[in-house]
Amino acid sequence: MESNRVARAFVSGEMFRGFEVILRGRDPLDAQHITQRICGVCPVEHGVASVLAQEMAYKLAPAENGRIARNLIQGVNFIMSGMTHFYLLSGLDFVDVAMITGYQGKDHALLALQAWVKSQLSSGQVYPAAPFLPRYAAKYLQDQDANFGALKHYLDALELRAVAHQMSAVFAGKMPHAATLVPGGITDKISALKIAQFKSMLERVSDFIEESYLPDVIAVAKAFPDYFALGQGCGNFLAYGAFAESADGKAKLLPAGLLVGGKLQPLDPEAITEDVSQSFFASASGRKPADGETTAASDKAGAYSWLKAPRYQSQVMEVGPLARVLVAYHDGSNPALKQATDGLLKALGREPKDLVSVMGRHAARALECKLLADRCAQWVDQLVPGAPAFNDFEVPESGQGFGLTEAARGALGHWLEIRGHKISNYQCVVPTTWNCSPRDDRGVAGPMEQALVGTPVADPENPIEAVRVVRSFDPCLACAVH
Amino acid sequence: MNRLTRRSFLQLSTRLVALMGLGSSAIPRVAEALEEIAQGKTRVLWLQGQCCSGCSVSLLDAESLPPASLLTKYICLQFHQTLSSATGSQAVEVVNKVISQGKYVLIVEGSVPAKMPKACLFGDEPFGDQLARAARNSTAVLAVGACAAFGGIPAAENNPTGAMSVPDFLKSQSLAVPTIRVPGCPFNPDWLVGTVVHVLKFGLPPLDSLGRPTMFFSRLMHDQCPRFADYERERFARTFGEEGCLFKLGCLGPITKTDCNLRHFNGGINACIRAGAPCIGCGGEGFAAKASLPFITKSRAAGKES
Repeated sequence: MESNRVARAFVSGEMFRGFEVILRGRDPLDAQHITQRICGVCPVEHGVASVLAQEMAYKLAPAENGRIARNLIQGVNFIMSGMTHFYLLSGLDFVDVAMITGYQGKDHALLALQAWVKSQLSSGQVYPAAPFLPRYAAKYLQDQDANFGALKHYLDALELRAVAHQMSAVFAGKMPHAATLVPGGITDKISALKIAQFKSMLERVSDFIEESYLPDVIAVAKAFPDYFALGQGCGNFLAYGAFAESADGKAKLLPAGLLVGGKLQPLDPEAITEDVSQSFFASASGRKPADGETTAASDKAGAYSWLKAPRYQSQVMEVGPLARVLVAYHDGSNPALKQATDGLLKALGREPKDLVSVMGRHAARALECKLLADRCAQWVDQLVPGAPAFNDFEVPESGQGFGLTEAARGALGHWLEIRGHKISNYQCVVPTTWNCSPRDDRGVAGPMEQALVGTPVADPENPIEAVRVVRSFDPCLACAVH
Repeated sequence: MNRLTRRSFLQLSTRLVALMGLGSSAIPRVAEALEEIAQGKTRVLWLQGQCCSGCSVSLLDAESLPPASLLTKYICLQFHQTLSSATGSQAVEVVNKVISQGKYVLIVEGSVPAKMPKACLFGDEPFGDQLARAARNSTAVLAVGACAAFGGIPAAENNPTGAMSVPDFLKSQSLAVPTIRVPGCPFNPDWLVGTVVHVLKFGLPPLDSLGRPTMFFSRLMHDQCPRFADYERERFARTFGEEGCLFKLGCLGPITKTDCNLRHFNGGINACIRAGAPCIGCGGEGFAAKASLPFITKSRAAGKES
């Protein structure tokens, strides 16, 4: 910090488990189960990346029902993750939970919350109203009604994120950690009852996104206009694309691509490398994931993070909903997305360039949830009860493959090599590894590190501004280190 | 007003008592426990080691207690890494103050990197040191999820961090604190809610030799399998999507003691075997431990019969 601004930032991942090391020597069909356990919030996306990598290695395409069911499982997980992030993980950085004590309305859930907060505050506990308090002292949302509305939706979101998991579980067996994902499709069968169960729950979730989530994001964005000019970051964006719209996986709902210096570029997976000079790894730096190594060195001098530093043609890249929305907006292949983005910008009174900011990330996330909810309603009608959801395969003696998809938090890739029927190498390059990457071999800071620099912090004891920048990326360090 | 009434406590108790398999005579005592918890008398500290947060996510999926009520009325959650507003140095301060006060139930999610302490830090403190401090002052420790209970994937063969389960780590530190294992990857939320309520009012629930509550972990999954008749008739699925017992695809139901086939997940909507997925034994002590025991035996190398 220098004169109340962030001068330099170092983002560090503090937990390592060694998934890539553990996977070596195991049966390839263990991979979709083991890699899902990298992250309890986005297991499905790891499972999908793993089965895509295996399908490439097995020269296999999924059955149509399986492909569509996987889109539904993954799409709903994006929605679950978006709601969880906005309300449960970052909402209370903006919404004033303490204002509930002055609530005079009649809403049952809000009155219950008020009674609880009041009893907690008079209980004499060291930390009353945990886990909502303590928090940093800061200027929170001032408008009383907007606060009450958002708090009510916080409680609704707690329930609806569980409903979203139920929707995924209709086809996934259970959530988190989907049971049914396999190369070739899913293990479960498609029935008319499952389709009906999914649709009825989707209606509730869609209504919430439209009537609560999007309006709340707009209200917060309007109340905190400064945050359209904070946390811009590196300005380069990368998307692998996701949600196969055809059996060969080439057509996707969300397109792949890069935006570098405002210019759209096609994706070349060969351009991805990982530096480790400032990370706790002894393995060689600058390797492509297909030949990647993971050798831990927890005492390495000069290292400060368990994250590797992924780069694209040696450049820093931001991934995530903002990257996907911007790539799709420029690419133009998804007219519904372009139209929805323009509509949201109009409601916010903003230009496309304003999206590259803290508020832009929140807005892009909500927008994507709405698009996915609409598309899920169409996908579920494409399922055919009784038709196969799985295409059979043999695990080959040797093979190679990679699976590129999107997790809610951004571009996710798994690279797989099989020798003697076993996994001989497995590498995961994960969204938060991109966004929270440490400095690379050339000393260039990662996207979040860059986004933090220059952030004004009024009170260094209460660095809420920096917290808001960090949380806008929706970081997941369990994922990032693995 | 919206305070929970005596009647609503009794209604909820009835559901919980059924869930825990207790007799109806236990209902008033459970109601009493709930009232006590609702008054914020019982404090819970939730710490995370080497974990994926999937168990925390699973808790939020609880149907037996709606998550909003769970957080405000039923557990006095002093700190949780992902749910707490407190972050940075404020978070470290909160945890340390709770530990110094003592008298809390400690819930631990995740394993301990015993041979590589820097592989999991909270603030600048190795997680193992934090866990030892927190366990010493707790009234009971719940090691929840596969990683905390038995080591899970972080402790699997070839792991680089020397990951240990929470009970094994506490034993290595000669810390004798009542410890319960609630395994599963993740646990079924009913297992955790049922265990916590039991601990708070009735003390330690009956445990098996591995420290798991017998109310959830006493019967083999195989015995309650919807495909048991297929097994009896030797009608085996040869690949996914086929009718029949999943044993020849590697199903670990015959060696895994959990009630998944009766309880199901996500509000009862589905479960692994019901969805055609062989059990991977995530509630068992050997979950993921050995490469020689793969989850699925579909490839020839993994023991598929041709």
